[in-house]
Amino acid sequence: MFDTSKLDYSFILRRYDVEAENQDTPEAIAEKMLPKDPVLREVASVVLYMKFKEVAPVVNNALKTVAPLDIINKGLVAGMEIVSVLYANHVYYLPEIMMAAKVMEVGIAIAEKQIPGGRTTKGKVVMHAAEGDPHDIGKNIAAVMMRSSGYTVVDLGKDVAVDDVVACVEQEKPFLVTGTALMTTTMSAFPRIAKILQAKGITIPFMAAGGAVNRDYAESFDLGIYSEKAPQTPLIAEKILAGYDWAKIREEWDNIVGGN
Amino acid sequence: MATKFTKMAYDKADDMLFGHSKKPVSYGLGIKVGAGRVIPELNYAPRPGTEKSIERITKEYVDYISKDAITRAVTLGFPDLQLETEWISQMGTVKGMGASIVAGQKAITEKFHDEYGINLAVRHTIPDQREAEHGLRPGMDKKFAYPEKFFECCEVACENGADVLSVESVGGKEFADYAVTHGDITAFLFGVGYLGSIDMENVWTEMVNIAKKNKVVAGGDTNCSGANVSMFMAGGLLDNDVQRTFSAVTRAMAAARTIVAEECGATGPDKDCGYEGPIVKSITGMPAAQEGKNCQCAHADIQGNLMAQVCDVWSNESVEYHPEFGGTSVQCWLGPLGYECSLMNTAIATGQAKILRDLYMTSDRTRGPEGYILAYDNAWRIGKAIADNGNDYYLRSRAAGIEAAKIIREGYDKKELLLTKKQLDVLDKIIVELEALPDDTDKFYDYCVKKYKDEVPTFNPKSYGF
Repeated sequence: MFDTSKLDYSFILRRYDVEAENQDTPEAIAEKMLPKDPVLREVASVVLYMKFKEVAPVVNNALKTVAPLDIINKGLVAGMEIVSVLYANHVYYLPEIMMAAKVMEVGIAIAEKQIPGGRTTKGKVVMHAAEGDPHDIGKNIAAVMMRSSGYTVVDLGKDVAVDDVVACVEQEKPFLVTGTALMTTTMSAFPRIAKILQAKGITIPFMAAGGAVNRDYAESFDLGIYSEKAPQTPLIAEKILAGYDWAKIREEWDNIVGGN
Repeated sequence: MATKFTKMAYDKADDMLFGHSKKPVSYGLGIKVGAGRVIPELNYAPRPGTEKSIERITKEYVDYISKDAITRAVTLGFPDLQLETEWISQMGTVKGMGASIVAGQKAITEKFHDEYGINLAVRHTIPDQREAEHGLRPGMDKKFAYPEKFFECCEVACENGADVLSVESVGGKEFADYAVTHGDITAFLFGVGYLGSIDMENVWTEMVNIAKKNKVVAGGDTNCSGANVSMFMAGGLLDNDVQRTFSAVTRAMAAARTIVAEECGATGPDKDCGYEGPIVKSITGMPAAQEGKNCQCAHADIQGNLMAQVCDVWSNESVEYHPEFGGTSVQCWLGPLGYECSLMNTAIATGQAKILRDLYMTSDRTRGPEGYILAYDNAWRIGKAIADNGNDYYLRSRAAGIEAAKIIREGYDKKELLLTKKQLDVLDKIIVELEALPDDTDKFYDYCVKKYKDEVPTFNPKSYGF
């Protein structure tokens, strides 16, 4: 091996990740965003700092003085929203999202037992990985992000038959159905699903995503819309709830995933 | 029963070189890997919709993809070409589809070999579609009947003309997915390093039997479903969903698992997407298939040059078949792939190979921690840690992880390798965590079963013989 001890690597490459490193701490960013109310602040903090063992006692304590719905929306969900900001600013990363979401879900499960009739979520989404495709990590991450954003997720898992997806949509009546695929020859199930849904008079958007899928393909069939990355899923879902149909989602896609 | 590697094939790192392996392999129509020349390997995916009938998909693979690729290889004067068909799921589920494609590709390679003398072979990689929730071993999966169907596909491939048989096996994936998304290095060690190795022993014992029976080369495996997921999610310099120090350590651990194929009788070349290849080769001495800069059609990585340093087969990973300005996609991506091999082979022929190897390696050595540990000198050190603990799946994977983490720390401390604060924090936690784990494999198993009982509900001990 030749001598590299005097080599200036910066001549060859630039470590943009080191140069662009965000020096902010989670505490510094969160301080401006945490609830002022001390009880809700503690609830939000257990999510923000992923304190899995503390979430149950903290939520149970909060239930003594705060309405369960407020604990959820102004405490647990508020904490998760701060986590999302930290993620967007490259202070938190995927593992923090996953763990914070888990803490939030435990807290919600405790609080919503105290709500007569249960909690109403923003809406229901059916998610699956394509028939013949065992790759579902992207779908799982997107599912966590959807739950964290206040949606009910019906997760059908991986290698799901076309007919099973259709049957589930008919039964659950979601506002959005998603499919992920890592293989070019499994994603062809998506237009088949969309076609059957249309024949049954169901016109909800079908979000196609995953390594093999691109925007051109997702938009090559009616109902089809595209999501490039898991964090885009709740952004697009929000617009569907606001009344956008699949055609308008396509038109506005760049703005929507850009956070506009 | 696998015969475990407890000694290094290479006495020192500097002996490792592209195009040369300790145990060359010959197969197909004149292909010799690791025998002094680097071979290009082209992988491809059919267009969506072509799988609708046996006739149409066979035409796609044989008359379009294979013919286009081989024609371009002849056009550009490449002496060798290996094709790799990673089976689409329908090749195993639609009766006759797999056999039709395998036989068709065999026939067209024979035609071109006879006509032009070009050396050709086809690797068939069978998809491992087992799912943890249904069980991984024969008799467990009542819904899809895997792995029985998987082994049937291996038979079909071997009986109809495959030259090399490979797989990207998924044992331990239930833990790998959890580990990568939660930044849990112990879960990765348990799933990939320990359970994945046990699973590979089962899968590869049978695959080697099938390959031998049919006089087909049993190639090798990759931890695509674990360490590659980790690497892809760590992404490029502005991504970082997963910290690259975490990803680098998972890569080292994966090497301890990937060598199980060779321990069961596989001879190489192993799978291109196994970026752990330099570590594997240092231990086994068998030919390594690798990918890097010429696989940007499939994904970006930040060690594109470095991965060529000790390869024997150089691959493009995969490209979807479609038209481009310069021909079809397989032709356009074969061009740079073949020319890169030509450059390496020129270096070999002119006695400059070690210089080119070091140029490849140096150009990416500090681009990120994963490239740093895969630089052949560091890869050899990790290989040594594995071989020194070679008799125990858990201990050798753990040793690989600790060695990799310490190599990165050394690189950082001597200011050769830059790290962000987050990357460094994660690295230091990994070292503490791995060193605190029990030295006894049974205790480690009990510890993990208890720890992940609720976190990884799809884990079924029966899948691993427990």
